[in-house]
Amino acid sequence: MLRSCLRHCPRATVRSVSCPRCLHHEPPRIHLARQQTSLSPSFLQIRGLQTSTTGPEEHVPLRKQLKQGAKALKAQKRERREQEEASRQKWELTVGVEIHAQLNTETKLFSRAPTLPSGLPNTNVALFDLAFPGSQPEFQAATLLPALRAAIALNCDIQPVSRFDRKHYFYHDQPAGYQITQYYEPFARNGYLDLFTHDGIAPEDGDRVRIGIKQIQLEQDTAKSQEYPPSTQLLDFNRVSHPLIEIITMPQIHNPATAAAFVRKVQAILQSCNAVTTGMEAGGLRADVNVSVRLRGDGSGAHQYGGIGGLGQRTEIKNLSSFKAVEDAIIAEKNRQITVLESGGVIEGETRGWTIGSTETRRLRGKEGEVDYRYMPDPDIPPLLIGEDLVSALSDNLPTGPDALIDMLVGQYGLPIEDAKPLIELDDGARLEYYQDVVDILRDLQQDLDAEAQTSLGRVAGNWVLHELGGLLTKADVAWDAEIVTAESLAALIDQLQRKRITGATAKKVLAMLFEGERRPILQLLEEENLILRPLSREEYIALAEAAIELNPKMVEQIRSKNQLGKLGWFVGQMMRMGEKGRVEAQKADSILRELILGSSQ
Amino acid sequence: MSLLLEAERYAANQSSHIALNAFISPLPRQSGQWHKQAKDADLRAKQGNPKSKLDGRLIAFKDNICTRDFPTTCASRTLETFTSPFDATVVQQVEDAGAIVAGKTNLDEFGMGSHSVNSHFGHVRNRRHLSAGGSSGGSAVAVATEQCYASLGTDTGGSIRLPAAYTGTVGFKPSYGLLSRWGVVAYANSLDTVGILAKRTSVARDVFDVLNKHDPRDPTSLSPLSRSRVLSKLSAPHLSSRLKSLPLRIGVPLEYNISELSPSVRQAWYRSLERLSQQGHTVEPVSLPMTNHALSAYYILAPAEASSNLAKYDGVRYGTQFTNKLYAKTRGAGFGPEVKRRIMLGAFSLSAQAMDNYFVQAQRIRRLVQRDFDAAFRAAHPLAAEPPYSQTGVDVLICPTAPSPPPSINLTINGAGPLDAYINDVFTVPASLAGLPAVSVPVYGDDAAGNQGSAGVAGIQVIGQYGDDELVLKVSELLEGCGL
Repeated sequence: MLRSCLRHCPRATVRSVSCPRCLHHEPPRIHLARQQTSLSPSFLQIRGLQTSTTGPEEHVPLRKQLKQGAKALKAQKRERREQEEASRQKWELTVGVEIHAQLNTETKLFSRAPTLPSGLPNTNVALFDLAFPGSQPEFQAATLLPALRAAIALNCDIQPVSRFDRKHYFYHDQPAGYQITQYYEPFARNGYLDLFTHDGIAPEDGDRVRIGIKQIQLEQDTAKSQEYPPSTQLLDFNRVSHPLIEIITMPQIHNPATAAAFVRKVQAILQSCNAVTTGMEAGGLRADVNVSVRLRGDGSGAHQYGGIGGLGQRTEIKNLSSFKAVEDAIIAEKNRQITVLESGGVIEGETRGWTIGSTETRRLRGKEGEVDYRYMPDPDIPPLLIGEDLVSALSDNLPTGPDALIDMLVGQYGLPIEDAKPLIELDDGARLEYYQDVVDILRDLQQDLDAEAQTSLGRVAGNWVLHELGGLLTKADVAWDAEIVTAESLAALIDQLQRKRITGATAKKVLAMLFEGERRPILQLLEEENLILRPLSREEYIALAEAAIELNPKMVEQIRSKNQLGKLGWFVGQMMRMGEKGRVEAQKADSILRELILGSSQ
Repeated sequence: MSLLLEAERYAANQSSHIALNAFISPLPRQSGQWHKQAKDADLRAKQGNPKSKLDGRLIAFKDNICTRDFPTTCASRTLETFTSPFDATVVQQVEDAGAIVAGKTNLDEFGMGSHSVNSHFGHVRNRRHLSAGGSSGGSAVAVATEQCYASLGTDTGGSIRLPAAYTGTVGFKPSYGLLSRWGVVAYANSLDTVGILAKRTSVARDVFDVLNKHDPRDPTSLSPLSRSRVLSKLSAPHLSSRLKSLPLRIGVPLEYNISELSPSVRQAWYRSLERLSQQGHTVEPVSLPMTNHALSAYYILAPAEASSNLAKYDGVRYGTQFTNKLYAKTRGAGFGPEVKRRIMLGAFSLSAQAMDNYFVQAQRIRRLVQRDFDAAFRAAHPLAAEPPYSQTGVDVLICPTAPSPPPSINLTINGAGPLDAYINDVFTVPASLAGLPAVSVPVYGDDAAGNQGSAGVAGIQVIGQYGDDELVLKVSELLEGCGL
């Protein structure tokens, strides 16, 4: 049934998760489990043990079995990697991506009906959305704004004149019998997106790869249909004519991981410039991929896509709803094509589908089943004229893109790239805003400090915002809120720490108190709770160290004879525990211990 | 005669002429709302405070114009029980002017036909078993037989002018974009034009004046800015003085003088030119070389748009579902043969392998047809960036509306193939492709037996430059009654 339903759907656009056609694609958990067991036969045997069925290998100890299993898995993985690499050396993969994204707009594309998700089906519809006889489109100019922001953020040339076309096909979620799109003259062309190592591109692509964007077009979404087998379909037209953009890349992607990285980055950019409301996980973004392979160095292929010639016959995989699905589907399809070609077969131009968790793409329809969309300029809709002034005003007010943000965080704030990325991505940018607030306040507080402290401030603040505060959030399973621990409090706390007026342990403890709702100003709190560091004297440190050494002289011997310096930490821990709370500084404790145990002063 | 009496007379005629099948939904027999409306209008007239010149008049609407109070069937089985949830803008305008909707008139299904015989509700009958013309045949016959004061129709390639010519009425197709299409069921959007049928040109003008306003709901409605631009171009001295201090230059398109022209039509054409030249206007030959290609281009473009516009009739959201199978079966049962033929034609010419050879070429021809007209007229196209007029060129073109008098209706139903029907549009299609104002006015030639009078009535077409609607109507008035 799924097959026939998909065959009738020549051009699936964005389908949200609640669409029954997509529900079929949802990962049945069993599927995943089955995949795992098939990878590691020993798992089955373990199960055999538990259910006390007898088998010849039953007597192999469990631990050994697990080890063997893991080893086999590893070997298998290595083998697959080697095979991949060998086939990569021989075959070149070429991928083009089409992304459909639901725009963040108040109204539909051609009517004033609101786009708000409504609980009641068929309430947000205008006459035109239902294709009532005699109704006409009324282009909603405001819907153009998020589309333009997206196109500008993706470095496109905005076309001063673009037009709308009708794309015809019959499907019950398409009331007019055609979708209004921009086929002949899209509003944006010739864009590009740079992908870097930190975006997760394949190592084969080096540090950086540029993917060309052929065009971006505005178009309508379809209705939502709900299937009630055996013979009932319910239609909800609330989504019909919701504005979408379709982003079409050049066939310039040559690695599956890079394709996934591209889709991920496009989503991040669309979200950062407020062009979309939801991402892939909520059904607001869908990808189709075109996949072809050819022998490396063989430019004799007869096919040409997007002006790039010499390619192999491509197939299209529709309706991928996660980044992982993009990558997995491309790998599977590439391998299928290579297998076909290596056994002397021919690739057919066809449309294929992908089920999450599967290992193979499956054929949906071949060329003979291809729909002729009979594109026709829409005679009711005037051309879209976009002024230079609008484009430049939007460009000027576009929020900084993820690439520029990373450059700024790494360059000016001194954050490591692995901290910069999550900071940008978390909580729709709210975490980054908070971080910047903390840094700004901290800079104010620390004007008197030396240059070194000033330069490390960004990195230290990053650590506290991301890891310390982040850890508390995760542990408590609480959503981000900048008011839980105010930026002022955190900055003051870090300042005290940097000035060595409190220990790291104290700082963490105070943060936890703040997180639990403590509202006293930091200085007052430290004062009242007697948390300010009163440094121990050297004598006090030595006394503590000696007490600790006495606890485990054997370990001291090991440190001395085998130079097992790692074990020093245990003694530091003991000193912290024995000493007065909040007064023992780990660094100082460590150096006294070294002095006493190793006889060195450093 | 009071407006109520007049309305009652029209209503009575609707009953007595029921065999003509001009209406799909006539006025309710026993008094309905129209009674009260007419009375109210009488009262306003007595108080010297009528809403407009149309106050209390009965106006019939072609059944592809949406009305809330009557079904809107488009003469199609697929919409045989459909009532629109809204009124078309033109219906609203007419009612706001005090006029009364006199029912919904019969037509060729979705406006596709030239004889009003392609109707799910049976064909329209004209006098003496002749074709009423199409597709607004019901609207034309309703006016000709006094079943209403005036009627509204739609003209895509001649659908108002041809029935006007065949029924001896005045049929006016205004410039494209002047009258709102909101609520007018699309056949071929880029050509569809709402127009007026009436016994006299002056009535057509009164209706036109009520409807000639910008409608924000119709994206193809001419904007207020463009309207004032058209007006200011037409008020340039050489153009504004036409018919006042300046005689007209009348163009006779040579390409319309085809050998197939029937003698009575040629005679009516000749008489019209004679009358105008007697009134002091100059008559000069004009060449419109693309005329021969216009019909072919029209029968590519209109079906292409139709195949797209009619894709919505799937019985899912409204309309009739004949089987529980969607698409092929439902649509197959819902559409008549001519509609199916044009959908197939259009689907073909839009298909990937035919697009460039048919649809794109036809669009080019359409552009060339426009250029032909622009070269012929003294007034430049008011929306083009050119000086308002040239020293040469004519003010209006005069030509027949159809090459022959109305054929026998039996012949149109049984004998002739679709191509013969298409030929009837040969003189009306060029103005449609160019979006120009054109009126068909009855002029009398001699009938086949050589007798002068109403039997030999022919439609003579007056075509003007875009926006020159007022001039076209004035010339129509000059020709009214000519040859009698």
